Amino acid sequence: MKIKTLQDLENVRKAGIKKLFPDKPRIAVGLATCGIAAGGQDVYEALETALKKKGVNAFLTKTGCFGICNEEPLVNIAMPGKPLVILHKVQKEDAESIAEKVAKGKLPEEKALCKIEEWDHITSEKPFFYGKGYENIPLWNEIPYFKPQKKVVLRDAGIINPEDIEEYIAVGGYSAVYKALTKMTPDEVVEEVKKSGLRGRGGAGFPTGLKWEFTKKEKSDVKYVICNADEGDPGAYMNRNEMESDPHMVIEGMIIGAYAIGASEGFIYVRAEYPLAIERLKLAIKQAKEYGLLGEHIFGTEFSFDIRIATGAGAFVCGEETALIASIEGKPGRPRPRPPFPAQKGLWEKPTNINNVETWCNIAPIIKKGGEWFSRIGIERNTGTKVFSLVGKVNKVGLVEVPLGTTINEIVCHIGGCGIKSKEIKAVQTGGPSGGCIPRNLFDTPIDYDHLKEVGSIMGSGGLVVMDEDTCMVDTAKYFLSFTVDESCGKCVPCREGLKRMYDILEKITDGRGTEEDLGILDELAHTIKATSLCGLGQTAPNPVITTIKYFKDEYMEHIKNKVCPARVCRALIDYFIVPDKCKGCTICAKNCPVGAIDGGPGLIHIIDQSKCIACGTCMDVCPFDAVVKLSGEKIDTPDKPIPVKKGR
Amino acid sequence: MKKTVRIKINGKTYEAEEGESILSVCNRENIDIPNLCFNEALAPYGACRLCMVEVVNGPGKKGMTTSCTLEAVEGLEVVTDTEQIVKYRNVLFELYLAQAPNSEEIKEMAAKYGVTKTRFAKKAKPLDPLGNKCVLCGQCVRVCDEIMGTAAINYIGRGFHTKINTPYLEKNDACMGCGACAEVCPTGAIQMEDIYDKRIMKSWSGTEVKLKKCKSCGRYFAPEPIAEFAYAKLDPEIKEELKDLCPDCRRKLLSRKEILISQGEVSKNED
Ligand SMILES: Cc1cc2nc3c(=O)[nH]c(=O)nc-3n(C[C@H](O)[C@H](O)[C@H](O)COP(=O)(O)O)c2cc1C
Ligand code: FES
Repeated sequence: MKIKTLQDLENVRKAGIKKLFPDKPRIAVGLATCGIAAGGQDVYEALETALKKKGVNAFLTKTGCFGICNEEPLVNIAMPGKPLVILHKVQKEDAESIAEKVAKGKLPEEKALCKIEEWDHITSEKPFFYGKGYENIPLWNEIPYFKPQKKVVLRDAGIINPEDIEEYIAVGGYSAVYKALTKMTPDEVVEEVKKSGLRGRGGAGFPTGLKWEFTKKEKSDVKYVICNADEGDPGAYMNRNEMESDPHMVIEGMIIGAYAIGASEGFIYVRAEYPLAIERLKLAIKQAKEYGLLGEHIFGTEFSFDIRIATGAGAFVCGEETALIASIEGKPGRPRPRPPFPAQKGLWEKPTNINNVETWCNIAPIIKKGGEWFSRIGIERNTGTKVFSLVGKVNKVGLVEVPLGTTINEIVCHIGGCGIKSKEIKAVQTGGPSGGCIPRNLFDTPIDYDHLKEVGSIMGSGGLVVMDEDTCMVDTAKYFLSFTVDESCGKCVPCREGLKRMYDILEKITDGRGTEEDLGILDELAHTIKATSLCGLGQTAPNPVITTIKYFKDEYMEHIKNKVCPARVCRALIDYFIVPDKCKGCTICAKNCPVGAIDGGPGLIHIIDQSKCIACGTCMDVCPFDAVVKLSGEKIDTPDKPIPVKKGR
Repeated sequence: MKKTVRIKINGKTYEAEEGESILSVCNRENIDIPNLCFNEALAPYGACRLCMVEVVNGPGKKGMTTSCTLEAVEGLEVVTDTEQIVKYRNVLFELYLAQAPNSEEIKEMAAKYGVTKTRFAKKAKPLDPLGNKCVLCGQCVRVCDEIMGTAAINYIGRGFHTKINTPYLEKNDACMGCGACAEVCPTGAIQMEDIYDKRIMKSWSGTEVKLKKCKSCGRYFAPEPIAEFAYAKLDPEIKEELKDLCPDCRRKLLSRKEILISQGEVSKNED
């Protein structure tokens, strides 16, 4: 059916509500990529079989990711009139017992992570009330992981079915489009976005309203909007999740943006490595067209707009806006100098407004609740929330949405629950290969565009990689450099030649061949590349090196002066030894050593021949007695040749 | 007619056409700015990064930027030789010296700005297809595409491993052998040679282009595709007469005609 009027929208909304609140139990399995990777699809199928077998009258469906990826697969169950309960670490073997309990109107409470009594989808007229009950299950926002979070972008993720437009409409979806198209002029829309203070979530934080205004002002018969879904930072997957869990919110944002600037066509540029996101976006576009929300005369107005999907082949630099545009045009993805900015000359030389996925996701709430409402979230000049992907050496990994201005400490320690195996956290890396490493003593830094810049990092797209005492900061810098060296398009000399030279120096240092002079050259190169590169890739690629030298110079000096890697990561600087008192002569290490560097025999104390050892660490991994130690710059006494293990041990 | 605007370079006022690149203005006014990827005939590219200037005043963004992509607007004020520009530029020269150690042109250019050594390992074997003389300024690629419309060569690979050559490093029929690439190359990296009836584009995977034989003297004088390319643009009548003649024979023919005309033996309108 085509939605033309408010009444039409209301009718679909009612149909959607029936799916969200059916008069029978609703069981939804988290099937974003994270859930599927943890076995969610198997759980879904097992539940389907079990429910059928036992003849349980329940509504089984899929949903996106609720953000706590550690606990996947997640399954949420809502009994009519009762709270929505989120079950975690559900295995396919649990399906039968879940089906049995549900048949009796009960829940597997032992599997419950938390419950939701009331949920604010932001875009709906009022919050949804599920019900009260289950005293033993904590409320979702009482558990430490969610307590400091505020879900604006992830308002529907993990609750609605991302493949059903009716459920999206049920939670107020597309009502912001209705409002914009029928009650607001394009200027008013731009004004509202400006008032919200929203800044681009793609990395640089440019004010979105202002960018829209630039594109709006350009005179042209054709204009375009683009959604940048190229998300290439290692460790970042917010955008993927946003598209997989709630694709319609991206589309809704783009429709409103297109109306504001006067565009008739839009493109979503998604990397081909995101097949599920592409599939769900395609489906969402198809549904939106069927319902008349894309295409000619949306809501019976003069405004027509359509969206196409373009897939990228995985080059990081294609996330840069001018390279992205070249790529859509079918040209090699190489950036070009700006100005002219895309707002002046973009896709096929026409004025083009390009925003990140998450930027678009914020538009519907801004139009629905007003820019003023949005500007009250977060802090001054940094309004709204930001979704971060918290990964690395931290207890709880997942997608975290917090108001801008939340401190690093709050995110890493309170939400993430600090280091794994109570290891000491050393730093956090923000902004991917363009960002920097922020040391522990600066963890009270609020995460927002301005404060991160002050400490030498950037917000980037929202990756937060936690590092602990086992992370070598020189090695980390080298890792990011190897990434940017690989991903440099090769057009301009500082990025193409300079980054490679920086990488070579870092390799020299981690190999124990570095000198103090090298540090100086590194610094000189870093600043030259930052200042003279053509695009943002080169302009930011030295950041990981600059910040690690700034905050962890002692680690560099240890590598250079003492040939020691304090975190015992750099292979050339570490040695493995077998502790004679602990070795039981089991021969496992000798059998597994790939280069035959271990001498020994049954009942003999084994010895590693340091001249043959390649420091691969296999012996340490396989030793059942923890007898192998890894050292840097130190030695332990070992016998000259294998001698019998002392009896009685 | 384009509007004329007044801009300041190093404190002195100059007139420029609105939208003209600052590097063009500097070239015209003999203000020295090193550059490798700029060519008046091609669209600005901004890749060599040597032409940095600092914008100190004007309607746009201040700070360092490339002068080849900076457009003249009323009130723009730039300086060309700040301490910072020199410092960064010198590092870039060092990178060039390491990248193209066999290019005399690069050595000369760097030396002119006081850079005679590089701290970085010079590219050695294996030689790139252009003999470690190429700096990837892209002028050859762009002239082949933008001016000749041929696009016989392009970039291969990316990042540090980028090369310029024919697709798959194979001989390319699309090449017309015009040699515009070698003409614009600022580092002397592109080699070609005419051997009897062929032009060999040595740098472009040994691509061979047939040469045209002069119907009068029998000399091989120009690549066949280029001759055809030119004939296609000529007036059909003139074309027939001059077709397949080498430049010398063409000149001879024309001057002989002139003489005959002046002697009244042939009337001017006869043909
Ligand atoms: C090397 C490089 C990679 C980038 N990758 C992305 C990306 O994956 N996603 C993105 O939204 N922006 C990326 N950007 C930023 C875009 O150029 C652009 O600023 C952004 O899409 C604008 O959207 P926003 O204003 O909503 O942030 C990248 C920039 C650079 C220099
Ligand atoms: S001439 Fe300006 S960047 Fe090369």
